[in-house]
Amino acid sequence: MRKMTEYKMFEGCTIGNRIPFIEAASRKVFDKVGVQTSQAPFACCPDPTGVKSFDNDAWLVMGARNLCVAEAEGKDIISLCNGCTNTLRGVSHQLKHDSLKKDKINAQLAKVGKEYKGTIDVKHFVDVLKDNLDKVKGAISKQLSGLKVACHPGCHYMRPAEWMESDDPMRPTTLNEIVATTGATVVNYGEEILCCGSAVTNAYPEHGMANLKIKMDAITKAGADVICVNCPACFQQFDTQQRDLSKQYDANYNIPVLYLTELLALAMGVSADEIGLKFHRTRLSGILEKIG
Amino acid sequence: MAIDFEFRKQVMDHHIGSEVIKYCYQCSRCADNCPVTAVTTDFYTTTGYNPRSNILNALLGYKDAIFAADELAIWGCTVCDTCDEVCPQNIELTEVFTFLKNQSIAQGKGPDFIYAQAKAVFDSAKAIPSQPAIERRRQQMGLPAVAAPDVNEVQTLLKNIGADKKLK
Repeated sequence: MRKMTEYKMFEGCTIGNRIPFIEAASRKVFDKVGVQTSQAPFACCPDPTGVKSFDNDAWLVMGARNLCVAEAEGKDIISLCNGCTNTLRGVSHQLKHDSLKKDKINAQLAKVGKEYKGTIDVKHFVDVLKDNLDKVKGAISKQLSGLKVACHPGCHYMRPAEWMESDDPMRPTTLNEIVATTGATVVNYGEEILCCGSAVTNAYPEHGMANLKIKMDAITKAGADVICVNCPACFQQFDTQQRDLSKQYDANYNIPVLYLTELLALAMGVSADEIGLKFHRTRLSGILEKIG
Repeated sequence: MAIDFEFRKQVMDHHIGSEVIKYCYQCSRCADNCPVTAVTTDFYTTTGYNPRSNILNALLGYKDAIFAADELAIWGCTVCDTCDEVCPQNIELTEVFTFLKNQSIAQGKGPDFIYAQAKAVFDSAKAIPSQPAIERRRQQMGLPAVAAPDVNEVQTLLKNIGADKKLK
């Protein structure tokens, strides 16, 4: 079979329609690393914490439809988001292991002229970068020496291991490894695999905040300059909720957040303006000064 | 407490590795590693979110015990999938919890956020619809416009599967 070099880009609703600056940074990094992408008219993945909780069959049929869109072009998907990756891989998993579900979903897809076959793979961009680590290293032009980074890979990047098949689900290392290529220092803070609490915050803000406090206290204690993430839901939880967290606990949480591709873009010589870092809620001026 | 055998069967059917859920011996590793249990339960209380109790009640068919309780009993789950990884019996707990959440929605219960997101997805095929200000920002940053999905096709699929009837 022909080796597929071009991926279908799945930017997802949050990045595409709310925080597109992350897509801008990701595209810059993909260009420099030689990862080719093209667009497709994908709908919502849909959300593995939202629509899946609402109706598993609705989640399956929409996820399968998206997979059909990529299958029609015979190209694998590259996802910029943990949730989208988790959904698209999870839908594939359910349909491949449960023939009753597959028949039910394909009967629905047939009515709109589609059929899920299971012929393409869904990759998280972190795993694609890991597979191209030498090219990532080669594209780094500015060492971020002295920058202390707390890595938060996020739950749905590696769990459940049963169908994510990426990193170690309880001792992840890939994000650390990629961040280290920039010359920055990865700090251990002991709560690396703790959830950001995004989903529970939507239903019970008080419990979400209590969870976020545990995470932020550990990151603060470790002396991190910045939190590095690879999921837009986690990004928003850290970037937008620190102010509320500070109010609620009468404290001062203000650690900036960078998406992995933003951190890499800076290390590859892209300017903060080009990738819209001014749209972050948390202040980045301190670390931008530090890395020069 | 009444046992609902139909409910029990549905739980078994939903779980892909359906035979393993029977092997739960209530060791409590799920609850011990659950981040929401950690912030909703202390040593002396039996309230709060507890994945172990959910599995026990689901496995035994104690439907009333699950749905008569505070909604936190189901919706406290933050879908981090940590319990799935620490379970010594390889039970996919989060998939069972998905089934419980789906049942809660079918009863018209559950958090507003879930309904709001489902409505947005039904109306626009996106959880977060496209907005002019963001479209302009994309343009300014040199990004291509987001490829628009076929909303009619997505609505047809959702209607045929019956999801539209669950919207509020």
